[in-house]
Amino acid sequence: MSATMEHRDGIAAFAETARQAVASCAAKPVRDRASQLAGDGLLGILAPESAGGLDLGLDFAVPVMEAAGAGLLGFPLAETLLLGAAFGATPFGPAIVLGERVATIAWAGRVRTASGRVSGTVGRAPLADQADLLLVATETGAVLVARDAPGVTLQPAIGLDLEAPEHEVVLDAVAPLATLDAARFATLREDALLLRAAEIGGSAQRCLALALEHVSTREQFGRTLVSFQALRHALARQKLAVEHIGAALERHAALAASGAGEARHAARTAYAAATRFGIAAIESALQLHGGMGFTWEVDVHRHLRRARTAEAQGDAAGLHRRLAQDLLTANA
Amino acid sequence: MDQDQAFLPPGLAGEEYRAHVRAWLAAHVPAGFLADQADHQAPDLDACRAWEAAMHRGGLAGITWPQAYGGHGLTLREHLIANQEIGRLALPESVNSLGKELAGPIILAIGSEEQKRRYLPPLLEMREIWCQGFSEPNAGSDLAGLRTRATRDGSVWRVNGRKIWTSGAPNAQRCLLLARTGPIEDRHRGLALFAMRMDAPGVTVRPLRQMDGREHFAEVFIDDVVIEADDALGAPDQGWSAAVRVLAIERATNRMYRAWRFENELHHLVRACRLDATLAALIESGTYHRRLAETVVDIDIIKAYVEPVVERLMAGESIGDRGSLMKLHWSEAHQRFAALALELLEQAPPGAAPEVQAARARFQRLYLAARAETIYAGTTEIQLGIIGDRILGLPRERARGGR
Repeated sequence: MSATMEHRDGIAAFAETARQAVASCAAKPVRDRASQLAGDGLLGILAPESAGGLDLGLDFAVPVMEAAGAGLLGFPLAETLLLGAAFGATPFGPAIVLGERVATIAWAGRVRTASGRVSGTVGRAPLADQADLLLVATETGAVLVARDAPGVTLQPAIGLDLEAPEHEVVLDAVAPLATLDAARFATLREDALLLRAAEIGGSAQRCLALALEHVSTREQFGRTLVSFQALRHALARQKLAVEHIGAALERHAALAASGAGEARHAARTAYAAATRFGIAAIESALQLHGGMGFTWEVDVHRHLRRARTAEAQGDAAGLHRRLAQDLLTANA
Repeated sequence: MDQDQAFLPPGLAGEEYRAHVRAWLAAHVPAGFLADQADHQAPDLDACRAWEAAMHRGGLAGITWPQAYGGHGLTLREHLIANQEIGRLALPESVNSLGKELAGPIILAIGSEEQKRRYLPPLLEMREIWCQGFSEPNAGSDLAGLRTRATRDGSVWRVNGRKIWTSGAPNAQRCLLLARTGPIEDRHRGLALFAMRMDAPGVTVRPLRQMDGREHFAEVFIDDVVIEADDALGAPDQGWSAAVRVLAIERATNRMYRAWRFENELHHLVRACRLDATLAALIESGTYHRRLAETVVDIDIIKAYVEPVVERLMAGESIGDRGSLMKLHWSEAHQRFAALALELLEQAPPGAAPEVQAARARFQRLYLAARAETIYAGTTEIQLGIIGDRILGLPRERARGGR
């Protein structure tokens, strides 16, 4: 019990640092964001101490990802946290943790390997145009390549997200810098689900706050909007969604702290809950803004774009199929 | 009952207690009790009473209550463990849940020492079943409008009024009665709680037939019923506020087995579908993958709300209104699941195997019964109001400019 509570206190300490760091990133170019976040000690949360990291559990990254979501951080933060840990034993680890090299991951597609070189088209690589390092999936795990290596071509960004636009990358006989075996790459992908759940949760919280502010100030029919029950109930449902995600994230933390084998399953369901309830909450917050919600200036659409992108990057549709398949297998 | 049912080894806690619960249940669950087995027969009232009394002797009920009042003096942690194990088997719902989860905790909080010794042991031993006399024809969600009146008459109270939706009233020996001692304008103030005997002269129970065909809830007419002063719980003007505090905790701790029972239902549904070629093809096809996966996620969210409650309460933290979040979620999630189960199983072809027919019967009952879940214990709309008013703290502004 006390372990859980100490854990909660430790995690809370990151939240405030992260909020401030994310806020000060807003006006900076991407590479300066890397220095800012590294300087605040946020990029090495998961990385081993030998790489300059803090070697903490995944749940310590949750408040940082929440802050990134709430503050619309334009940086491949989940990717950086995961790559710093995965390549902690190589020279790339410290470079990533210190913010000297910007690293990202192509979440979709995989390349073929021939004669030690990789070729193919991968996609869903956030901010690949700003990155030095790119992780791509192979038949046997994943490899790290240099973005400026011969044979690497970037396609213009296409996708919903405005903060960390996604790119497709064509690789033609590119020499890898380092490799990740299948098991560690699978773990990285699973860990990413929890980080995305936190990010979507942060966005949903922020959108609820924006909606609350809007309906508390705008008047129609001689009353502030918040006095209308239909709107109050919509806000209550948004709050319910935010609490669902928070509870699911806490459950993962509790299971992980006690070493329960269920923790991995809990990360999957936390992510599934975030995509389902979090996105619905963001859409509802947009609705409560009325016409303002459909304008470019109001940030809710940015959160929606980002959350929908996180939904695709984590393959929420495929995850639901796997959860159903697991259920069928368990009752064969 | 066997002698060994009367035995809870002393000093058991945590996982040792879980091992005891598992072993005890494996040895004692009567034939036909398991809802996910083809031989399931819903037990009658007497069978439920005997079973629950046995569970109490085996250490699976009254877990956190003091030993002086018939409880086992364990912690909420063991309460959760027992609930998980009972839920996994989907054992019959308690016929005295209002006693164990509402009246009992309120008596423990505001009852006198003498009242605790008098009410609690018969409740746990299933000699006294309790019902809840709160709602009235004109005071449902708006409970503060209730009109049943208790008037002091010398050394006793004299009560007149009418209660409705009183679950379990036809079987109950006692009623946790909420009645007004002050003027109706006082709303929440001037309300008192009583432990009314259901066999008292002037108490008439008229069962109401429910939409699922059962007669579990009832109207209770109270005509000039005399309640002894020592059956009044707490001070006349404080009973309600104390009860509200208990209720907030109860909303978060009652029927903690829900997520695990829900899981039993989900797994039963899948197994039943796999027994039938038509249904197996349907659930394998992918058409239902999304809804099945969402059910898995919904159950994990219930667990995510329930599990931390124990540690928080044991650490002295407040649960506040979190019970409303939980109630809103499980009731709606369970209805979604019930609709899914019904839709799937109603596609079973004629002549399906007995196991499939048994599942059909279970999930038809469940679908109908689940309609009540977003109504009782505070409707969905009331819970949304609580979340808005008390958790989000939305201003309760009315019309401006004097309108």
